[in-house]
Amino acid sequence: MTEMSVRPGVETAVATSHSPRLRHFRRYWQLYVMMLIPLILLLLFKYAPLFGNILAFRRFRPGMGPFGTDWVGFAYFERFLSDPAFWRAFNNTLVLSFGNILINFPIPIIFALMLSEVRNVKFRKLVQTISYMPRFISTVVVIAILSEILSPSSGLINRFLVDVFGMSPIYFMNEQQYFRPIYILSETWQFTGWTAIIYLAAITGINRELFEAADIDGAGRFQKIRYVTIPSIMSTIMVMLILNVGSLLSLGFEKVLLMYTPSNAMVSDIIDTLVYRTGLMNQNYSYATAIGLFSGVVGVILVSGTNWFSKKVSGESIY
Amino acid sequence: MGKQRRLHSMTIVDLLIHLVMILVILICIVPFLYMLALSLSSPSAIINSKVTFYPVGLNFDAYIQIFTYPNFFKAYGNTIFYTVAGTLIALFTTTVFAYAMSKRFLYGHKLIMKLIVFSMFFSGGLIPTYLLISNLHLTGTVWAMLLPFAINQFNLIILINFIRAVPAELEEAAIIDGLDYFGILLRVIVPLSTPALATIGLFTAVFFWNDWFNGLIYLNTNQYPVMLFLRNIVNGTTMVGDGAGAADKSTIAMSIKSAVIITSTLPIIILYPLLQRFFVSGLTLGSIKG
Repeated sequence: MTEMSVRPGVETAVATSHSPRLRHFRRYWQLYVMMLIPLILLLLFKYAPLFGNILAFRRFRPGMGPFGTDWVGFAYFERFLSDPAFWRAFNNTLVLSFGNILINFPIPIIFALMLSEVRNVKFRKLVQTISYMPRFISTVVVIAILSEILSPSSGLINRFLVDVFGMSPIYFMNEQQYFRPIYILSETWQFTGWTAIIYLAAITGINRELFEAADIDGAGRFQKIRYVTIPSIMSTIMVMLILNVGSLLSLGFEKVLLMYTPSNAMVSDIIDTLVYRTGLMNQNYSYATAIGLFSGVVGVILVSGTNWFSKKVSGESIY
Repeated sequence: MGKQRRLHSMTIVDLLIHLVMILVILICIVPFLYMLALSLSSPSAIINSKVTFYPVGLNFDAYIQIFTYPNFFKAYGNTIFYTVAGTLIALFTTTVFAYAMSKRFLYGHKLIMKLIVFSMFFSGGLIPTYLLISNLHLTGTVWAMLLPFAINQFNLIILINFIRAVPAELEEAAIIDGLDYFGILLRVIVPLSTPALATIGLFTAVFFWNDWFNGLIYLNTNQYPVMLFLRNIVNGTTMVGDGAGAADKSTIAMSIKSAVIITSTLPIIILYPLLQRFFVSGLTLGSIKG
């Protein structure tokens, strides 16, 4: 009752017989109650698996709990580090990732720069709206559509190749030399418009006076892009680059899994699919956890490493 | 004269940019038109490669077939359930968590905030998560689809920042009016946070609608969501297409596959124009107060 007009968060000298701590809980217990269930969910589903990584150092026995039974040290790590299948997956991950960054890092920037040059606001909004629609389509649907368009018997692309160039049909989804281009281009289709939103927001945020000053100096359109727009969004570009390099080992696992066929396994087996196959399909839980933990730790090192490097070189960082 | 030439070259650049943009629109839309055309075409037209972007030999056989296939309805219903239930649970837990976490003076606030941020950078990994869920005996139950995704740290932080921006005077007035914190949350915070909640709800709904992998590893066949159903059709069709002389089968399957693609994507495509303004405002929400 006495606390009716008290401002939340400000401890006031209300004279009661209780200790300040007790008074705090009496006043705010409802807020702690609200936190309870979500906090349990956070600890259970985000932190328990984190500690579950201990399984990488312990032998798993069925029915004996998720944390394994006895310590084996780095035995599983030694095993996968001498396993050619791991190195193939590691290599495939890096190649696919670098290829993906090489193509799909610059494209959204170029798209955003071009789109911001469209002066008709309605048309610009329309292009933007449609361009990020693929982001909301399920990966399953994307791959299903691809498999129909690229189908050797009746797909659009093969019909074009057969009718116009007289080639014999190509089974794109099955031949390994097409796996990487298909993966990377489908990422372009799915995410260019979405990623461009961030750059477009950065471009919109540029002070108009900079462009006016450039106009007065007689700068042309390309000069304005070169000397005003790009330097102004450089910090956004750097942050996005850090995030990209940092997630080098985490590709679109679900998409790769959907595109995986025995005939393209030589290039399509990445670390995540290797973990999935050895762990969930063959039940080598400890072995797969060790591989997963390794790739997770490398991922954290990559993020903090690129972040540190970028801070040194350009002064930009994400934390 | 120089000015004249610059104006001229600018219009050529404009023309090129507009052409590229029209191409972008086409690339985004044409795959769906092609799917729609395939799903409405007759098998013979598909075999003879007559179908491009409009139906040839218009018929609804593919749709009739999938609608009379009980597993499709079951999967579709499952997806609707996961989407609705998952989104409601996620909205509830995120809202109460975010409101409590918007109060910096609570004991443990800093620690919990650190826990939230840390778990964004380092996650448990596939195998430990799988073993945890199977040891909690959630495998084969719908909870395996709902509970692990109740809290998304990114959405949570967006909402915390949003609620912190609500003027403190409103809460003070509500306290004077005799509301407790549950009442404030329900009558003041939730109504004021509708844009943020709509955004988070929509992102969560899209996530649940599109999910197939968690269904694959945690659920039984009769609990499969529609995306997993589609994935299994795609796998099966690939096998049929492999066999020699199976061209007829594979083209029938093609129109059925297209019909499943269209029906399972339809809710997103229909709602998309209405919802997309929320998505954009939501993306910029988080950056207002980092």
